[in-house]
Amino acid sequence: MASVLSGRARPQAALTPAVRQVVQRNSYIAVPLTLLVVLFIANAIVQPQFLSQQSWAASMAVLCPTVLTAMAVTLPILSGNGGIDLSVGPLAGFITVLIAAVLVPAGITSQVIIPIVIAFGLLSGAINGVLVAYVRLPAIIATLGMYLFYQGLGTEVLPEAGGSVPVWLTKLDGSYGPIPAVWVVFAVIAVVWLLLTRGSYPRNLLSVGGDERAAYTAGVHVNRLRVVTYAFGGALAAIAGLMLTGLIQGGDGTVGPPYTISALTAVALGGISLAGGRGGLLGGALGGAVLFLIQELLTDAKVSVYSVSVVNGIVLIAALALNGTVEYLRRKSAAAKRG
Amino acid sequence: MTTVDVASRLDITDLSRSFGETKALRSATLRVAPGEIHSLAGENGSGKSTLIKILSGVLRPDSGTLTWEGDVMRHLASPASAQAMGISTVFQETLFAPEMTVRDNIFLGTDGLFRYGRRKGAELEVARQALSDLGLDGLDPDRPMWMLSLAERQLVTIARAIVRPWRLLILDESTSALDASQRDRLFDYLRLARSEGKSVLFTSHRMDEVLGLADRITVLRQGTTVATLAVGEASRRSVLGHMSGRADTADIVSATSAPYLEAGGLEAARQAAGQAAAAGTPVLRAEELTLRPSSRPISLEVRAGEILGLAGLEGQGQVEFVECLSGLRKPVSGQSAALGANGAAHSVRSYGTANRLGIRYVPRDRRHEGLFAPLSVFDNFAITLWSEFNWLGVLRRQQVRKRFADFSESSRLVSASPARAISTLSGGNQQKILLGRWVAMRPRVLVVNDPLRGVDANTKEELYGLFRRLAADGVAIIYLSTEITELLTLTDQIAVFHEGSVVAMLPSETSSDTDVVAAMFGDEHPGGPQQAGAGG
Repeated sequence: MASVLSGRARPQAALTPAVRQVVQRNSYIAVPLTLLVVLFIANAIVQPQFLSQQSWAASMAVLCPTVLTAMAVTLPILSGNGGIDLSVGPLAGFITVLIAAVLVPAGITSQVIIPIVIAFGLLSGAINGVLVAYVRLPAIIATLGMYLFYQGLGTEVLPEAGGSVPVWLTKLDGSYGPIPAVWVVFAVIAVVWLLLTRGSYPRNLLSVGGDERAAYTAGVHVNRLRVVTYAFGGALAAIAGLMLTGLIQGGDGTVGPPYTISALTAVALGGISLAGGRGGLLGGALGGAVLFLIQELLTDAKVSVYSVSVVNGIVLIAALALNGTVEYLRRKSAAAKRG
Repeated sequence: MTTVDVASRLDITDLSRSFGETKALRSATLRVAPGEIHSLAGENGSGKSTLIKILSGVLRPDSGTLTWEGDVMRHLASPASAQAMGISTVFQETLFAPEMTVRDNIFLGTDGLFRYGRRKGAELEVARQALSDLGLDGLDPDRPMWMLSLAERQLVTIARAIVRPWRLLILDESTSALDASQRDRLFDYLRLARSEGKSVLFTSHRMDEVLGLADRITVLRQGTTVATLAVGEASRRSVLGHMSGRADTADIVSATSAPYLEAGGLEAARQAAGQAAAAGTPVLRAEELTLRPSSRPISLEVRAGEILGLAGLEGQGQVEFVECLSGLRKPVSGQSAALGANGAAHSVRSYGTANRLGIRYVPRDRRHEGLFAPLSVFDNFAITLWSEFNWLGVLRRQQVRKRFADFSESSRLVSASPARAISTLSGGNQQKILLGRWVAMRPRVLVVNDPLRGVDANTKEELYGLFRRLAADGVAIIYLSTEITELLTLTDQIAVFHEGSVVAMLPSETSSDTDVVAAMFGDEHPGGPQQAGAGG
């Protein structure tokens, strides 16, 4: 295994520094990417129509909230110091209520809903960030508070699932020609993220996650960075809520909370260190996709719902152990090279 | 780079800063001129690091003023604003983000939240230049930081400081991991910067660096500036004298007389203990014990009834040494051996063996390594005794209670009720219980790591008495302390650590503070090596 790793390191020397840095920074996705490919093939074998365009688009729509909440929780985790956002699930759930029971009844049915929802997510995340960075609450407690808040507020505003949803929002499982609608959403997020990562944000984020004191004494505005990071996470969770609204075609205050658990599982599957400082948004997305493919495979294989959870648990632990092993070998081979 | 034409670059007066009860800085005064390399000297706990943290914007002072190039201010808002003003600091601890590249670590904090401070191409050029200034021409700036050696990491943190537009560079013990040639390269760079009118403020635990590099030296003692010396008029001895507080006698005190040590009751007790030591048989031996790959092996012997003091500036190996003796750490090579009554040697391989051999370690950090905060005084005392005082797993409380009563009576140490929660006791009383726990085990060798830190004067006296009685009863005591006076009063001889090796073995009776401080700063004491040979 060690020789495999060092063998991979050698061709890198031929790459340009910029490419090499991208490869180095993203090497953590090796495990989730492999899992994704394996599971994709397995799904295609078990269920050949999995590849058909119709089912493809529908699958993407189902997968979407899982992937987005996983990405949402990835950001606070990367910022280190116990960073986490448990409120991503209930926030997404509350967004469905906000749209179906508040905005639409108030006559707001156009695409104006999109910026409103994103602004709501940014604000909610920023509140988490302020609680963590300035009030100095442990992230797990502060965001648990927000979790309970949204969970309660959702069912309070809309005790029974329902409400009405604009038609354009329910078309998310459809396609624009051969392109599933969901892909457009991901493409927009990817473009925004790539613009952000062209600047110094990733350097600041990963250094704060890697060693907060190093970042602070070097002059990074650690608190500001945290607030912004939690706000981005909130925005992603809100977009997840938007997609969820289209998926369930209504509002439901109880639909959100389970997404927090699946998001955390996805982050671990995505090769992201819970200690922060290593990983990226892509890992969260891949982890979410892997989790979805596992569920899909088990459903196709007519495995009971309870067994799905059992398998998820086993996969999660195996993925964490594998991440740890890969990391250990990586360091060992590097230490050996250093002599 | 613009250099403001000012008579004084940095001028601080009467700066003070407390942490709770502890006054880390009482009245620090310092003036750094443009085009000057200035050294900040002082023993452990003299306030150097606190002062540097204030100057780099990490801490705020309680009182005093700070004048930077003519602007008077109460404090610096943050590290970022200190850097914006032109003060760049390299901290004692090598701080870096391990997963990030060298380049990222160098430019960390020079960017906005989203916008880079410079173009990527320019970054690479500046990084290469800075690394080459420090002698790291071959280092790839895109290498992740965790792959670097210790010395390379330290140099990268220095590179981080020098790529900023600095006019005052602060180096706090920043050469500890560097080898001689890397250090020379750095000093050349600093001298070049000086000739351009920039200023450098540095601390070092190597006296030769201080005297070889600095133009002036400011000495801090117990948080107060006691002297500023031009390097031409400062001798090694006078600097050391100011640090230890024996400035007036610094140059005349010889190793054979110690006139300021009062030969009172303490002295008599110590001599009594000393005689016992001479008569005692060796109980613990360090055999070619090497603490670090680059350090010299340590060989010494401790006799029953002897109190051996361990001294050294922070991080010079004394803590590793006690950890090796008590089996908590494996030495690079060599071993520590406990000697039985018949002279048979048993190697101390682990903490378990150390305990079986009667070597008891009292850790430094009371709160985290010693006490069980929620438990009572008695439970904290008795925790070590249950393995001895039980019958098939049934605890024999009565016998342990008797031990506790014996201990508290005979040593007049504990006035508190045994049922009280230990957390309600004062620091001094907590320390008594902690010591009592190990003393009740009837150790052959007691290894204590700075036991009187944060203990009031009266309790100190009582504990000195306890240690002396233990020694008189034939217990060998290894006594690590950061207070030199304490070592001189209590111990029979003092092993002084510097960079992982014992550089001097000083008889407490005939040595002065200045002798100890000199050895701590790496002076090979004339009597040192021979003494070490005799002791080992």
